[in-house]
Amino acid sequence: MENNFYITGVGGQGVVRLGQILALYGLEKGKKVRFYKQVGMAQRGGPVHCEVRIGEVFGSRIPPLSADIVVVMELAEGLKALEFVKPGGMVILNRKKIYPLDLMAYPDQYPPEEEIIQLFKEVGAKIFWIEADRITQEINLPLAENIIILGVIANFLSLDKSILLNLLEKNVLGSFLTKNLEAFERGFQWAEEMK
Amino acid sequence: MKRLLTGNEAIAEGVIESGVEVITGYPGTPSSEVILNLKSMQNKADFRPQHIEWSINEKVALEIAAGAAWAGKRALVTMKMSGLNVAADSLVSIAYSGCRGGLVIFVADDPGAHAGMAEQDSRHYARLMIIPMLDLASQQEGLDYMKLAFELSEKIGGPIFLRSTTDISHVASDVEIGNRLNLEKREIFLEKDITRYTKAASSWCIAQHKDAINRLKQALDYTDNYLSEHGIRVNEMSLDEKIKEGVIYSGAVEGNFKEAIKRYNLKLSWLKIGLIHPLPEERIKRFLEKVERVLILEELDPFIETEVRRIASQMNKSVDIWGKFNKDFLPWVGGYSFREIKKGLETFLGKVFESEQDSRIRLKAKEIEVKRTTSFCVGCPHRGAYFALNKAIKKLKYKKDEIIITGDIGCTILGMNKPFESCWTEIAMGASIGLAQGFKWAGIEKPVIATIGDSTFFHAGIPPLINAIYQKVPLTVIILDNGWTAMTGFEENPGTLAFDNKEDTKRVDIREICQGCGVEDLKVIDPYKPEEAINTIIKAIKYPGVSVVLSRQECALQAKRRKVNFAKYRVDIKKCTGCRVCLNSVGCPAMVFHPAEEKGRPYMEITMDCFGCGICKFDCPTGAIEEIKDGK
Repeated sequence: MENNFYITGVGGQGVVRLGQILALYGLEKGKKVRFYKQVGMAQRGGPVHCEVRIGEVFGSRIPPLSADIVVVMELAEGLKALEFVKPGGMVILNRKKIYPLDLMAYPDQYPPEEEIIQLFKEVGAKIFWIEADRITQEINLPLAENIIILGVIANFLSLDKSILLNLLEKNVLGSFLTKNLEAFERGFQWAEEMK
Repeated sequence: MKRLLTGNEAIAEGVIESGVEVITGYPGTPSSEVILNLKSMQNKADFRPQHIEWSINEKVALEIAAGAAWAGKRALVTMKMSGLNVAADSLVSIAYSGCRGGLVIFVADDPGAHAGMAEQDSRHYARLMIIPMLDLASQQEGLDYMKLAFELSEKIGGPIFLRSTTDISHVASDVEIGNRLNLEKREIFLEKDITRYTKAASSWCIAQHKDAINRLKQALDYTDNYLSEHGIRVNEMSLDEKIKEGVIYSGAVEGNFKEAIKRYNLKLSWLKIGLIHPLPEERIKRFLEKVERVLILEELDPFIETEVRRIASQMNKSVDIWGKFNKDFLPWVGGYSFREIKKGLETFLGKVFESEQDSRIRLKAKEIEVKRTTSFCVGCPHRGAYFALNKAIKKLKYKKDEIIITGDIGCTILGMNKPFESCWTEIAMGASIGLAQGFKWAGIEKPVIATIGDSTFFHAGIPPLINAIYQKVPLTVIILDNGWTAMTGFEENPGTLAFDNKEDTKRVDIREICQGCGVEDLKVIDPYKPEEAINTIIKAIKYPGVSVVLSRQECALQAKRRKVNFAKYRVDIKKCTGCRVCLNSVGCPAMVFHPAEEKGRPYMEITMDCFGCGICKFDCPTGAIEEIKDGK
């Protein structure tokens, strides 16, 4: 059994933190883990992606057609994940567009949503749309989109909730912990309704 | 106990477990996190080494580590592959002399050039310098081999290379933590032996050369059957008499190779090589005896392949060898992803394991993807410096494309990107100033300008500056001093004003260095004040000799961490026409443009991310950008 997570977005969305918690979850479960994060000049707004592999895995990167779960935090960044989607694999699309500086004045140059969806359909993805920022607004914690999605994944994959909550406690700043736990729960519930 | 550690974190753990006392290095991706981690653990978790430092450059770092090792301590020096070129001069001599305490040189290569630099294969240095080299294939080996490297160094009395690559150093995996060694207290002394520690007589040099060669053999004898603390064999063979196909591999390709074996249930004999210099020649022969065809998997140059072909040519048996010397087969460049390894194995075995995704999808995705170019961070002082430089050039009535601006290593090179597009060249640490002199001697009559960061200037920028002054080369050098070695992880350097150990160090002021070097036209600018900065740069460019402009303001990210606050800016929406002049001239990530919606009109927004550098205000044609005073 192995689980491959491909998470993509831009700097500031918590892509790496989400991956880190999943990787630590794998470690807690006593599994082999590989956690790759695209590092470099990924400041605010730069592309970021990470890959988490848990189970009987060797390579540090997910082979093509092998990602069981793809998380797209920023829509256009999802295009980079297409070649890794396992046919029938789950793709969580966060309905969010973040324009780079030179595209801000030309929003029509941003790839059309329909084309992105079409490509994900062609690779046989099971698509789930989420508007994580709507939930973060409700709980007034704008930076918690990643934790909402963690809740979604926890539900879809029936992960051990107590381990995840414990990891959140260890890895989230104390002052934001309560809200992050709420974000996690909201994501978990959202997934429940999607089933 | 297992922990989730990156390769560099595992290496740092190995350093702690080995009882290393003196640790030096110069930052460089992907090697920096070893010392960053060791510094963060210093005096915690019972880790109290004698000394850890970020040195001025790799050569100095190495010499310090070697001195400590000659005196009997265990010493480590770390660097990226480009840094090894800097350290190389001293390293050859040190390798010939050997060492008493363990001396390990950690070097990280970057196949795929993720950090942007010449994609050199540092394994060649092992052969050139007669130094044994361990090559990492996993994060666990980072820990285990670091310990082995010190053990081996003291066993043979010479330095050891530990080589990693990005795919090991920056990836995390489950790593088993080991036991800490309790080293006996050592007597610290340097044996006075000029036949070993000087090179002043040819007979001594030749004797040292012979010693170095002998150490190689000892290193092989010690490691060929070595089993590490966590059960890793340095050189390992899996032979099946019935199988006629074999693979020889080393380094980071291991993960994807083993992945392919599992995924496609491949039956192959294999030989993994962990000590890549000297190669286990007898073992390779034994392997070649048992197979008819062999595939060699290694990233970058055919380092092992060349030797395997030589060894095979001396055998009374013909083996069909596949590797980088085969035409249009395995690439000499880039890292090997799973796809490359799969393709290599498929071609070697003559069958397709798994069909690929329709290539149309990849092409389409590539076609519509959003490009996100890297620019300066919010508040970066370099933005102001390049902004002023471009304006100065314009005011002097030059076209942008006729003034050569040489760039240098570090954050400052981002001046090549939009919106500034200032820098033309990037070579190596300090090279902006040397290269610029060449352009002048070649006969470029228009001004030539060199830009360089503070850490880069300390590292290798001072000798070329002195050269320019001595040779009276008319040149403008702009030193972008943000006080930190920022790009690689905000390491301190001799010019850093504020960091934790300041009572143990003395700051060296770049302004005084320039004065001491004999710079006659030296001006300091504040990059947050465009007007003055532009005028000062204009005067510097007009100056007939060497002029230096020192642009000073602390790295905004570091200043922010230290809670330094500037007044922020906002856009008066009534005055803003949405012309985007500000965005196009400063390209600040704190800006958001709102296109015209129905009945509305377009406008810019400066978000809460604003740091308050205020450069954007300078170009606004309607004066719509204003400082927020007293929070209003």
